[in-house]
Amino acid sequence: MPQALIAFLTPWRDPAGRFSWLKTAVVLLALFPAVELALGAWFHALGGRPITEATHISGDWIIRFLLLSLAVTPARAVLNWPRVIILRRLLGVTAACYAVLHLGLYIYDQKWNLIVVASEIVLRVYLLIGFIALLGFAVLAITSTDGWQRRLRTRWKKLHRLVFPISVLTMLHFYMQSKVNVGDAVIYSGFLFWLLLWRALPRRWQPRLAALPALAIGAALLTAAAETLWYGTATKIPALRVLAANLGPDPRPAAYVLLAGLAVLGLALLRRLRRPRLARAI
Amino acid sequence: MLFHRRRGWEIPERLATPESVVVSRRGLGIAAGAGLLAAAGPARAQWPFSAAKVVEAPRAPLVSTKNEKFTPGRALTDEAEATSYNNFYEFGMSKSVIAAAQALKPDPWSVEFAGMTGKPGKIGLEDILKRVSLEERVYRHRCVEAWAMTVPWVGFPLSELVKMGEPKAGTKYVVFTTLADDKTMPGLHQSFYPWPYTEGVTMAEAGNDLSFIAVGMYGKTLPKQNGAPMRLVLPWKYGFKSAKSIVKVTFTDKRPVSFWEALQDSEYGFWANVNPEVPHPRWSQARERLLGSDEMVKTQIWNGYGEFVAAMYDDLKKERLFA
Repeated sequence: MPQALIAFLTPWRDPAGRFSWLKTAVVLLALFPAVELALGAWFHALGGRPITEATHISGDWIIRFLLLSLAVTPARAVLNWPRVIILRRLLGVTAACYAVLHLGLYIYDQKWNLIVVASEIVLRVYLLIGFIALLGFAVLAITSTDGWQRRLRTRWKKLHRLVFPISVLTMLHFYMQSKVNVGDAVIYSGFLFWLLLWRALPRRWQPRLAALPALAIGAALLTAAAETLWYGTATKIPALRVLAANLGPDPRPAAYVLLAGLAVLGLALLRRLRRPRLARAI
Repeated sequence: MLFHRRRGWEIPERLATPESVVVSRRGLGIAAGAGLLAAAGPARAQWPFSAAKVVEAPRAPLVSTKNEKFTPGRALTDEAEATSYNNFYEFGMSKSVIAAAQALKPDPWSVEFAGMTGKPGKIGLEDILKRVSLEERVYRHRCVEAWAMTVPWVGFPLSELVKMGEPKAGTKYVVFTTLADDKTMPGLHQSFYPWPYTEGVTMAEAGNDLSFIAVGMYGKTLPKQNGAPMRLVLPWKYGFKSAKSIVKVTFTDKRPVSFWEALQDSEYGFWANVNPEVPHPRWSQARERLLGSDEMVKTQIWNGYGEFVAAMYDDLKKERLFA
């Protein structure tokens, strides 16, 4: 059996081939949405249009696993947690698997009428964007193995940097499919902003605690800006009213993103308190 | 060739109880076990692990005469489906607004006449009901999101409500306003939306035979999530035109800007008549999915009600009638 297939079939093992609790936990997380969907279908808990609902649920999980996979590298540096890197491929491949399921559900929803599926993908820009992202996911998942890593050598890293444009396309697809209200999409894009901003930091700043408050605020501001821009251009809602809502009492996407950024700061602090030697990296 | 011999316990598919009914029975079992059944309406298909079951207020039966003029040509949608898949943005952006919608208080209820009216002020729903006779009409309902249902509405012609409001000469439009109560409606916290929900029709449309005010469905009063206690039903237009939980009827000579039009007029216009040939910017309107059976059927122009409504638009060809 090829090495890659063995690795794929035994996802709970670390690269050295030993059982890993960390990976096992993430494998269970990766299976959770599939179980959720299967039970939902079995118990008819998916509502009047179950396939549409399942398509949406699978879509949400693509975004979550994609963002988690992008969070691995920052987590390694910020939390000084080298071992977390063994999760990156697993999380990325999981996102890709749910992307395939997502398209499969859409095709099923169209009663396997591939002509309708193809024409809808071409005619509706948000579907075209989603489809391109899906192709990207597929390429990255297939070339994620050790074998392809060896074969492509330095080009592998370049190829897999495609995950950033793919993330942007995925997020755009999320925004565009929303019916006016892009609240959820805005929150997730805020997390993506944090992850991209962190990567834009100078290398020596990336592991430092002092960068985190700025990142949290920066990501929140970008979130508010993106939300304002979206409503201002894609809808007739006055942009200023959207911006002003951030000053109101109700929880807004930018506030959630700020909170998440501060939570990262909290985790990093905790980690340094428990391991004082790290504290020098402030 | 394959033969399927029917065994004694098997029945043909068409005689089988719809799944949703079975599921709601299962739900009932669970609810009963939890002692929640005290005054429960039908419990619904629910995520089996969800702690809180939705307990709906019981709905009073309504006496009405059947109006058979508008035959739907389709099977009725299962009641459990038609009352659990709802767009009611005041109670949330998802389709599962049942739980949140239970906060609505449909009794007592009154409707205010405003604008170019000879009867400004409020009228109680019970007073309205004293002056009309209820009828049941089965209409096809087509949502702009390309799903559809077939519902037996109980109510009275919209023209009767308009008459009660005594619109003055020169009135061109009737505007309907949905309740906006920020204490019970969490959706209103989306502060940049143009609340309250408003929708409007021309006087000609309001006077059309098909235009209907529903106070019930499936022989009982309206469920809260479907727009209790009174809502509009305009079966040849996309569903969002049919405002729910109406608290105000305004007569005006100026064309109103409705809720969705104010949000995104490119996708949801003033006229919003059903037309399979005119796609929504993000999806085709050529076909629709029936709630419950998930069957896909072809969408018809004017949602198949052309013989009753098409003539109204003969002189309006320049308008964006189908979006």
